[in-house]
Amino acid sequence: MVEKKPAEPTNVPSPEIADEDIFAAMKEISGYLDITPGDFKEVYHLAWRHARERLLRTAKAREIMTRDVAAVRADSPLQEVAELMARRGVSGVPVLDTADRVVGVISEKDFLKAMSSGGITSFMGVVAQCLQEKGCKALGIRKGKAADLMNAPAVTVAEDTQVLEVIKLFKEKGINRVPVLNSQARLTGIVSRGDLLDLAPSRGGRTL
Amino acid sequence: MKYFQKMRGNTKSPPRVSLAEIAWSWLGAFLGILAVALINYKFLGGTALVLLIGSFGASAVLIYGAIKSPLAQPRNLLGGHILSAIIGVSAYKLFPGDLWLAAPLAVATAIAVMHATRTLHPPGGATALIAVIGGAQIQALGYFYAVAPVGLGAVIMLVVALLINNIPKTRSYPEFWF
Repeated sequence: MVEKKPAEPTNVPSPEIADEDIFAAMKEISGYLDITPGDFKEVYHLAWRHARERLLRTAKAREIMTRDVAAVRADSPLQEVAELMARRGVSGVPVLDTADRVVGVISEKDFLKAMSSGGITSFMGVVAQCLQEKGCKALGIRKGKAADLMNAPAVTVAEDTQVLEVIKLFKEKGINRVPVLNSQARLTGIVSRGDLLDLAPSRGGRTL
Repeated sequence: MKYFQKMRGNTKSPPRVSLAEIAWSWLGAFLGILAVALINYKFLGGTALVLLIGSFGASAVLIYGAIKSPLAQPRNLLGGHILSAIIGVSAYKLFPGDLWLAAPLAVATAIAVMHATRTLHPPGGATALIAVIGGAQIQALGYFYAVAPVGLGAVIMLVVALLINNIPKTRSYPEFWF
């Protein structure tokens, strides 16, 4: 089991700004500003949205990835993998070999597939099947290792892959997360759909 | 309902400036108007020429009192006054016998042209109006009104603004030239 130390957060959420904040800031600036706090607030929010959009167009995977990434070994027992995913509240983790290379990704979907038959990949599908058949197939994978269920080879991106490329990859491959590798092919982070959502403006009706 | 709600306003007035800012605003305005007034009364007294017009009082508010304002920048000060002067004189020449029409035409057109040329300077509206209602002495100047008092006076006030507004550490003028 490999759990990396949290790094500095790279996704700064849109700070809410109050009229009092603007008023205080205007007081700090010497000289008369002929703009009302209300107008400034509007400019601020629009500018923030533009900054977000620019970030989405130009940002690299490195800038939006989650650095505190939970990963497992290829020979990690599935029970431990499941426990780690539950504890960290993630739906997928990269799988590393003994040389720390990413060899695959294992996700909830892989578990669900293994716990059912006929290609069911949703939790409720598995529940339905369990109820029909009086018994779960989860027990069947009890002795399994991460390598047995993982998706391999892993789809990965480089740190300087454009965020737009990452989005395309998600769509094309039907995946929800992608490990990010540095130039030495070492795992440095993971970009999930949630990281992409953080990029979207959090205010106003119009989104990206 | 929204129409009336809009009349209630939606934010508060900006903060008051520091005492130093007030003092520098006073000094700049005093010297700027002094320079124009001296020439007007000491050198041009008794001639047909004038240099001091009412709209310079309004310009002083901006270029000495609100120097960061986009409305107070050289492009706006010079462009706004000169273009408005030309429009004001034209409005008077078009309707010399109908000042009730020439006056609003001058001001409204001045605003439109200043907007279109990115030279909006509120005192320009007064400059255009003065061209119409300023009396025989102003009307006799014709388009020369745009050169003096308007252009020349604005340049003198600009020079004073450059000299005075850049003395304190906390002030800097202009934000941009053109």
